[in-house]
Amino acid sequence: MVPLPLALPFAELEVGQHLYWQLGNLKIHGQVFLSSWVVIGALLALVVVGTRKLERDPRGVQNLLEFLWDYIRDMAREQIGEKAYRDWLPFIGTLFLFIFVSNWGGALVPWKLIHLPSGELGAPTADINTTVALALLVSLAYFYAGLSRKGFRYFEYYVEPTPIMVPFKIVEDFTKPLSLSFRLFGNILADELVVAVLAFLVPLVVPLPAMFLGLFTSAIQALIFATLAAYYIGEAVHESHH
Amino acid sequence: MNFPTILASHGAFGLNLNPFETNIINLAIVIFALYKFLPNFLGGILERRRAAILTELTDAETRLAAASESLAQAQQGLAEAQKKAEQIRADGKARAQAIRLENEKRTIEEMARLKQGSAADLQSEAARVTNQLRREAARLAIEKALASLPGKLDADGQAQLLNQSIQNLGNA
Repeated sequence: MVPLPLALPFAELEVGQHLYWQLGNLKIHGQVFLSSWVVIGALLALVVVGTRKLERDPRGVQNLLEFLWDYIRDMAREQIGEKAYRDWLPFIGTLFLFIFVSNWGGALVPWKLIHLPSGELGAPTADINTTVALALLVSLAYFYAGLSRKGFRYFEYYVEPTPIMVPFKIVEDFTKPLSLSFRLFGNILADELVVAVLAFLVPLVVPLPAMFLGLFTSAIQALIFATLAAYYIGEAVHESHH
Repeated sequence: MNFPTILASHGAFGLNLNPFETNIINLAIVIFALYKFLPNFLGGILERRRAAILTELTDAETRLAAASESLAQAQQGLAEAQKKAEQIRADGKARAQAIRLENEKRTIEEMARLKQGSAADLQSEAARVTNQLRREAARLAIEKALASLPGKLDADGQAQLLNQSIQNLGNA
């Protein structure tokens, strides 16, 4: 624990503290799991409640879910293309909803009411492990999408439009998950830190703009992550016409 | 350690009710603001979506009703047309049957007439020929008789012939 040198009687700020759980040889960040479970549970509950009694006249939660589904479908169709988007709609939708609810949950749920032995609860996406896992899933997804749709012709993509592109395309395969994960992680962690630091310095009112801005950026980050994932998949399944 | 960390005893799960440490006041304001404005914003979108869906549904239903109505009409027309076609076919069949029967009857009559005519022709021809032959034979016999008569006829013979003839007449 690294308390800042300022010893004000308001709040304390800690970074890099985790609630470690031992799982075999792995030390896992328990607080991330706890908040992830809450997020997953909330999403599942929402979906179950919204789809339990489907009616022709969409009301309440069903209407909200249908609206979200429309939104995600439009996004996936725009990025992936009419032919392949149906296969990837669940993946893109899951990414978007999980990241969105994680971000907003991190910003809106008063996690700090629950005191942990070490570390503190927050958005699951403010932990690099979560975002790297999501980004690697995206990598796997677009490789699988390309290979399953085009077979080894997928690798033609590396020499398009000219073979000079090969090294860049190979580097891209590494930078895509890197940028995806760091963008999301950085934004969410930075947002949480800004709010925490402001709250630490001036407890009232001053953090509010940062909090609203955080809500905005959180939503945008979820959208960016899902859109980019869909875009990468779309790039992999795209049939170039010679 | 200072006041908040006393409350948040380390080493266990628990509740932290310090309003400053948990930033709960700001969170409450944010959540209240969202609660105030988000339902208006999102609710408007959702309500418009629902209205659009309902309008589309009603439209589709009216179109369905109209379509089923015209389908029923068309089916009725089809049934009528089929009935008509059936009737026309039956009429045609009956007429064809009648015409065929008529033709058969006429043909048979014609054939009978032809047969009868030819039989009558044959008979009259035969009668004519027989008549002619008979006449010819009679003429020849008379000629022959006239030729041989002057040599053979004397008084005795004539008397005998007369007697015979008279006797014949008497017998007849």
